[in-house]
Amino acid sequence: MNWIVPEPEELSCLRGDPLLWEQELDVRPGVAEALERAVGQRAGQVFWRSDHDHLYSLQLADLGAGRPSMARVFGWWDRWEPRPPEHQIDADLMAFLLWVAETADLGPVYVSQVAQRAGIPFGWPAGSVLRTPEERFAALPGFSYEPKFVEIEGLRMAYVEAGAGDPILMLHGEPAWGYLYRHMIPHLAAAGRAVVPDLIGFGRSDKPCACNAYTYRSHARWLRKLLVALGLERITLVCQGWGGLLGLRLVGQMPERFARVVAMNTGLPHGDGCAEAFRRWRSFSQRQDFLDVAKLVRNSLGRARLTDAEASAYQAPFPSREYQTGAIIFPRLVPTYKDDPGVYENRKTIERLRGLGLPVFLAWGEEDPITREGEAMLRALFRNASPTLWVPRAGHFVQEDAGEEIAVKIRDWMWSHP
Amino acid sequence: MELRAKPPWLERLFPWKQHSRIVNGRRMAFIDEGERAGRPVLLLSGNPTWGYLYRDFIEPLVSAGYRAIAPDWIGTGYSDHPRVDAALTLAHHIADLVSLLDQLDLRGFVIVGQDWGGPQGIGAALRRIDRLGAVVLMNTWLFTDLISKFHASPKPWTTWHAPIIGQYFMKRHKVLSHNGPRAVSRRGITEIEARAYHHVYDEPDSDHVVLTWPRTIPMRENDRGWLDMRAIQNRLPDLANTPVLLLWAPEDNVFPLEFGRRLKELLPHAEGPLTFDRARHFLQDDRGPDLAAAILEFLNRRLGAPR
Repeated sequence: MNWIVPEPEELSCLRGDPLLWEQELDVRPGVAEALERAVGQRAGQVFWRSDHDHLYSLQLADLGAGRPSMARVFGWWDRWEPRPPEHQIDADLMAFLLWVAETADLGPVYVSQVAQRAGIPFGWPAGSVLRTPEERFAALPGFSYEPKFVEIEGLRMAYVEAGAGDPILMLHGEPAWGYLYRHMIPHLAAAGRAVVPDLIGFGRSDKPCACNAYTYRSHARWLRKLLVALGLERITLVCQGWGGLLGLRLVGQMPERFARVVAMNTGLPHGDGCAEAFRRWRSFSQRQDFLDVAKLVRNSLGRARLTDAEASAYQAPFPSREYQTGAIIFPRLVPTYKDDPGVYENRKTIERLRGLGLPVFLAWGEEDPITREGEAMLRALFRNASPTLWVPRAGHFVQEDAGEEIAVKIRDWMWSHP
Repeated sequence: MELRAKPPWLERLFPWKQHSRIVNGRRMAFIDEGERAGRPVLLLSGNPTWGYLYRDFIEPLVSAGYRAIAPDWIGTGYSDHPRVDAALTLAHHIADLVSLLDQLDLRGFVIVGQDWGGPQGIGAALRRIDRLGAVVLMNTWLFTDLISKFHASPKPWTTWHAPIIGQYFMKRHKVLSHNGPRAVSRRGITEIEARAYHHVYDEPDSDHVVLTWPRTIPMRENDRGWLDMRAIQNRLPDLANTPVLLLWAPEDNVFPLEFGRRLKELLPHAEGPLTFDRARHFLQDDRGPDLAAAILEFLNRRLGAPR
């Protein structure tokens, strides 16, 4: 078990939720002694992070027996938010129980067999994940790439790719999908292997229906596991909007996998408020019966004009509201207060990114009221970044407004920053 | 696991069907009456009561076109009663309600809160601020900088919930869960009404929440509940664009009128406090129909009548 010591700053934004409690460890003194040896103490609390990035703790107390005699297991969730899906907690607890069984010589085999016989489900409950029918994606103008799929935590994650060489990871944001990059893929495929995934809840990827499936942390985790599954190294990150919130955090989490960063109309919010335009958009998004994604994208454009077929390609992933859970939640996952979920991690990310010294390219649509402050923030963070490419008459979705122009500049910049 | 059945004698007093959802791994019961499309009004009670406290509100709200939702906090009423204090913190109660708001996909909802229904309801609403429609607060508090004399007094309050001693009074003798509503009632409740309040705690060891709530009241920094209450107070400016109504029973010795005035200072755009005499801490029980009428008038005027 990998024990960690969480910082008080992180713990103060979490709530300890009792999951298991056992007050009679003395019934088998050998178990208590084994736990004491493994943990290194007979009274106190040790923490670990699970495969789902959730934080847990084991609390031991000595009730006078001279060895641990009471044990409790806590999950540590975002302080005011619903806890993650139960099957994730079950799987994390099972991993812990297997460790206990091994540590205390209780037979891990029996533990798994008993769990199996009890029929405890460790996957998404039937019917809790939606998949947009493939025929919704027939005849996409300008996006004929064959979709590929990887399974991440029981969810099918889709991506397209083109070209060969070092990977260029292109991350879309709210409420788009890989389609957003269609003008850029051909140019960047000349400089490497363009890999364009759809975030969980978007595009061709699976869409869990439960709100608590979607958090900043879970999106980052799914992406991290995607990079590992595809074995991507020496990555050039190209990101915009939420793609940047997630991509930049990934760079902080696994810097050894990244070689360059291209950020467009994004930011790394860390609890110091938000733009008024964003607040209005968030408020609007939370009151909608159905997000008219085609209209949203059209209204955010500067110079580009979408054909009806292009606009409906943005709507394609969402046949109805049930498919939009992830898209509707996204705006409210942006951390704005200092104790919001994600702030602690983003502050850590900023610290790590500051010391990295990766080549950075910033391209910004001038007419995006939501991310304007993001440019200054990232410029201050990446002091070695090339001068920002300000794109006039371009909005939030610069890939639509000036995709080719930017892609060509990125390609040339990549060649000059090998 | 199903919700436990309502006893037949309660049916007459509280005829509405209990629905439920799993929130944070525990089952939360709630009344959900009226049209699905109606504006949701969440009726939130405090210690030691449950949805029954709002029985006089449901019919008026529903016939005016609203959707009346009265959840029982985890640990109370027909919800699960976990036997572990750590599942009953202020942050848990807030996250539980947020989970219910999410699962029912409520938009434009109204928070009606009294006692713990105030901070817990507002705490949840602040997490889903873009879906909040209006707020009604009655004899409650949302701040750490005013301490009730009642809450500071050892006779009976701080003795009732003191370490070790509190267990004896609150759980062995159930002084609050079984005698609270009756002792406080201004109009004088009947035996069967008192039973409706306390039968949910009749089972031994089913009443952890009655003790964790008093112990969560933040009196000084680092108290349990301080951090959450402080966070709520700090975010109150977020309610500036939300219609707020304060209704108050000045005869309440737990939250006297100065608490209403303090709320008014923090939420200067609020209407009220409108005062209701002949009512004490459980004003919904003492003056239910009158309060319901005041709330309906406020909602119809500020948000537009549903029909």
